[in-house]
Amino acid sequence: MIGVLARLAQDTGDGILVPAEPIQAGVTQIATPEIQWVALLPHLILVVGGILLLTIASLFRHRVPRWAYTIYTVAVAAGAIIAALPLWVRVQDAERGPFSAIAGALGVDGFSIFITVIICAGVILTALLADGYLKREGIDGPELFVLLLLAASGGTIMASANDLIVLFLGLEILSISVYVMAAMHARRFTSLEAGMKYFILGAFSSAFFLYGIALVYGASGSTNMIRINQYLASPTGVVLSENGLLLGGFALLLVGFGFKVAAVPFHAWAPDVYQGAPTPVTAFMASAVKAGGFAAMLRVFVLTFGTFSGDWQPVVFALAVLSLLVGSVLAIVQTNVKRMLAYSSIAHAGFILVGVEVATEQGTAAALFYLAAYTFMVVGSFAVITVVGRKGDGHHELSDYRGLARRQPVLAFVFTILLLAQAGVPFTAGFFAKFYVISAAVDAENYSLAIIAMVSAVIAAFLYLRIMISMYMSTDSEAVTGEPDRVPVPLAAGIALFVACVVTVVIGFVPGPITDLANDAVPFLVQVG
Amino acid sequence: MPSAVIAAGATNGVGFPLLTCIVALPALGAAVLACLPRARGDLLKLVAVLFAVASGALSIWMLAEFDTAFDGFQFVSRHQWIESFGISWFLGVDGISLFLVVLSGVMFPIALVAASPKQDQKSFYAWMLLLMAGSMGAFVALDLLLFFVFFEIVLVPMYFLIGMWGYGNRVYAATKFFLFTMLGSALMLVGILALVILTSSNTGQGVTFDLVELAEAQGVGLVAARWIFVSFALAFAVKVPLFPVHTWLPDAHTEAPTAGSVILAAIMLKLGTYGFLRFGLYLFPEATHWFAPLFLTLGVVGIIYGAVVATMQRDLKRLVAYSSVAHLGFIVIGIFALNAQGLEGGVLQMVNHGLSTGALFILVGFIYERRHTREISELGGLQKSAPILAGVFTVVMLSSIGVPGLNGFVGEFLSLLGAFRGARWWGAVATLGVVLAAVYLLWAYQRVFHGSPEGENARLRDLSLREGLIMVPLVGLIVFIGVYPRPVLARIEPSVDALVAHVDAHVEDFEVEEIVFDPLPEGNDDAEHDEEGGED
Amino acid sequence: MNGGVDAAYLVLGAVLFAIGAAGLLVRRNLLVMFMCVELMLNAVNVTFVAFASALGDIGGQVAVFFVLVVAASEVVVGLALIVAIMRRKPGATADDISLMKG
Repeated sequence: MIGVLARLAQDTGDGILVPAEPIQAGVTQIATPEIQWVALLPHLILVVGGILLLTIASLFRHRVPRWAYTIYTVAVAAGAIIAALPLWVRVQDAERGPFSAIAGALGVDGFSIFITVIICAGVILTALLADGYLKREGIDGPELFVLLLLAASGGTIMASANDLIVLFLGLEILSISVYVMAAMHARRFTSLEAGMKYFILGAFSSAFFLYGIALVYGASGSTNMIRINQYLASPTGVVLSENGLLLGGFALLLVGFGFKVAAVPFHAWAPDVYQGAPTPVTAFMASAVKAGGFAAMLRVFVLTFGTFSGDWQPVVFALAVLSLLVGSVLAIVQTNVKRMLAYSSIAHAGFILVGVEVATEQGTAAALFYLAAYTFMVVGSFAVITVVGRKGDGHHELSDYRGLARRQPVLAFVFTILLLAQAGVPFTAGFFAKFYVISAAVDAENYSLAIIAMVSAVIAAFLYLRIMISMYMSTDSEAVTGEPDRVPVPLAAGIALFVACVVTVVIGFVPGPITDLANDAVPFLVQVG
Repeated sequence: MPSAVIAAGATNGVGFPLLTCIVALPALGAAVLACLPRARGDLLKLVAVLFAVASGALSIWMLAEFDTAFDGFQFVSRHQWIESFGISWFLGVDGISLFLVVLSGVMFPIALVAASPKQDQKSFYAWMLLLMAGSMGAFVALDLLLFFVFFEIVLVPMYFLIGMWGYGNRVYAATKFFLFTMLGSALMLVGILALVILTSSNTGQGVTFDLVELAEAQGVGLVAARWIFVSFALAFAVKVPLFPVHTWLPDAHTEAPTAGSVILAAIMLKLGTYGFLRFGLYLFPEATHWFAPLFLTLGVVGIIYGAVVATMQRDLKRLVAYSSVAHLGFIVIGIFALNAQGLEGGVLQMVNHGLSTGALFILVGFIYERRHTREISELGGLQKSAPILAGVFTVVMLSSIGVPGLNGFVGEFLSLLGAFRGARWWGAVATLGVVLAAVYLLWAYQRVFHGSPEGENARLRDLSLREGLIMVPLVGLIVFIGVYPRPVLARIEPSVDALVAHVDAHVEDFEVEEIVFDPLPEGNDDAEHDEEGGED
Repeated sequence: MNGGVDAAYLVLGAVLFAIGAAGLLVRRNLLVMFMCVELMLNAVNVTFVAFASALGDIGGQVAVFFVLVVAASEVVVGLALIVAIMRRKPGATADDISLMKG
């Protein structure tokens, strides 16, 4: 892989991207690029960490306590974050700037590091959540943690991919791992069903995505994003409407991304899969998988196809509007809380799509901020759902939350904060997430999208109110009949909840640091192209 | 009110950030409550009242230190919040917000003392304190985003107060309240951002959410300003509430617990009218002027509609709720008369309505605690069994009607005077509302208090000492402002004059044709109404 | 840039892709649906090779190898999932795995 990709762009050695000369057919010598190991470190830590865990677990099965897997996974993900920090410093250094590793196959810029950190945070929270879950459900083995780390590496590769084929590989590493994770709870048929559905539709969308890559390759002569970008911006002029290959490629890529981020009308799988998958896995899907998908979408459309933003914007506009409205409207008619949050995550995807649609640096920064904030809100919410789901992971009806505030006021209060954050109430991360997205839309003078987004936020608020009503305002007569017992909150899940809640509130009060990071993560994305 | 003037008035010799403390103390109190044991109901109440009183006392101190002659913002405190977006923690008061802050400082402790939550006292008091922090913050915020944040955040405590401690149909009422007001303010966020970004691009300055800078810059074009004003006005109109979007109010008021109703009426509705003044009139003088006939009409419709519907109510609390719709109509026509008398009357009437309607809700709450019904037909002859209650009710009711010598008269009179000067015909119709107020309130009083009591009504307890003490400050203020309004008006006046001058200056800037307030062609008004209706 | 492509190969790829996509949507047998996915991926491979040969660029041919590897991994996971489902519900079709509705 490394040698071949070197043909697509040659690295001058100091890391500055310079496109390679067109390569003649029949050339036999393959230039070996300099590999910047340090740039690969976050990805390598995740991949090697995952494989090592698999090996250890296979060799010493039943001799390693379960909690050790959790701690190991958290440590590996934290290690990846730590490895990413020096890269951030290097990338932000005005003289050195973003650079490519492995000859243009991977780009290291603020953007990719930001997403890497988000995904690793998602992994840490999910791992903490999974600890108590696996114990409660009696699921043996560390496979979930292995897959979690591998999926995360896929996500980080997607975020850093500078070549469409590498992007596809990252996407598949992520997706295949998550297919298995969704089917992990093999004794629940709904889990298998979720895995199968996700697999069929995921493979379907991957095929579309791949076909899109093939067409773009045919039109532009390369799969390297820089080459594609240069081709699109070439002075000879590319007229999109006359270039069927390119047009088809754009459309198919958009369909593929639409499936991955669960944008309406490609969302049909999401509610079923979210509902059926083990709840910690749902949390991972809603946070890290979504982050990876949007990272790739931003990189491909806003960065690589930025020249033609006018042509793809109307389509993304439609996707955003549909996701916002359909997601929030269908969410409020559900009675299963997991399904509710599945639809609400579709509406959230609509908000992030608003950030994509405006196709500006501000929009990208807003989308990044949204992803960061949403990761904590949604993992926290699914953490509560995991805990309330009880043994068998099946108590997810609205009625299962009845009277929760009386039995477990702290848990109910934490859930309330997370739900209010998702609704976008001030002094939570969710408010500023929406604020930045809307301000990016207004800045681009896209008032209609901003208004639709805000209206959909109000519709979605009703959904969160319904859950809160169930927890707090069930009448006494209902409460007496068949009120469920207290649910135990495992320590690790408690930690995850605490972290998610604190981060959500702290960002709500002091959004500045994350805002600045998100802003810093953007310009370099654009410069790489 | 240029920025330089603000700086001069900075802290009025108070050596610490007074306003920040007023806002932060109740929030701190809520945090303290969260750490206290759930079972100690008395302790919880004591702590809650202490924090509310502390914040209220600071607001009284602010009143004492307030520089009467100065028309700009005082006690200003300012810190960067989100630097890259030009958002700051920017607080200050002037004559317009001064008494609203004091009113909050008075009403919250009273409401807390009067409250007697049946269950989960800890959460109740904590939500009340958070509500206090949010309302205080909204009245003193001078940064657009900060105001929006406080304006929105008050929904959450109120939602829980209605939904968890309310009566009968509380969940429906709470949800309706939350969604209505959130829908109203959703578009205001788009409006705020549009204003800020357009101003920044037109003036070439950096992005700022500073109210004063934005108002002085007047950096958006005529049409854009009107559109943005519409997005603001919608939020405020829902909060006030103005006629077509008022339907959440009777439900919320009726189902809310007493303390919730009191705060809702006394404080939260004022966020709407205050918003019209501070963020409508000040930021968009021309647009406000342009839309004035519409809002005058809606105000008048509200006065008449509220009064007529109130007359027909069988539920005493619902009657008071509809009377709020009518009273807020007076405030609105006072504001949109766009002259000094009208604005002064509007501001004063905000305070008066807070006192009198707040007191009415407390009294209705007392009656409900005794009789467990609010049906007017179930009550009767209470004057015999509870003379003190009846006496206090009479004073408060007369203040609400606007009888001379009590506070309601001064405010209503000034509002109507302003309306007559600026918009004669609307003023004339509005006067009818004064008569109607007398009708529904006196009639209700007659049915509830006159006659001979039967059954449980005959055994009704009179006010206890605690209840009496709750009413003392309210009745005292009602009488004081009624007899001697000068100190209050003297503090409101300079800021109102400055605001009127600001409006006049900028309306002339735009050189629009003078809007004729005198006999207005009916058709013209209807056309405007339709246009606006489509927007809503 | 695509002047040298033999359109026939592209049409073949497109037709195969369409057959695969249609089959996936129409058929209810899990195994057949699964084969349809493979068909789609291989249709893309044909397209890649056609472009690579026309462009004289080896990159497209290399992409095919990546796709093959990915397809193989999908087979591993997909078949395992089908086996797991068949164990629980012998002879299950796509219609049988629809417990969740809403």
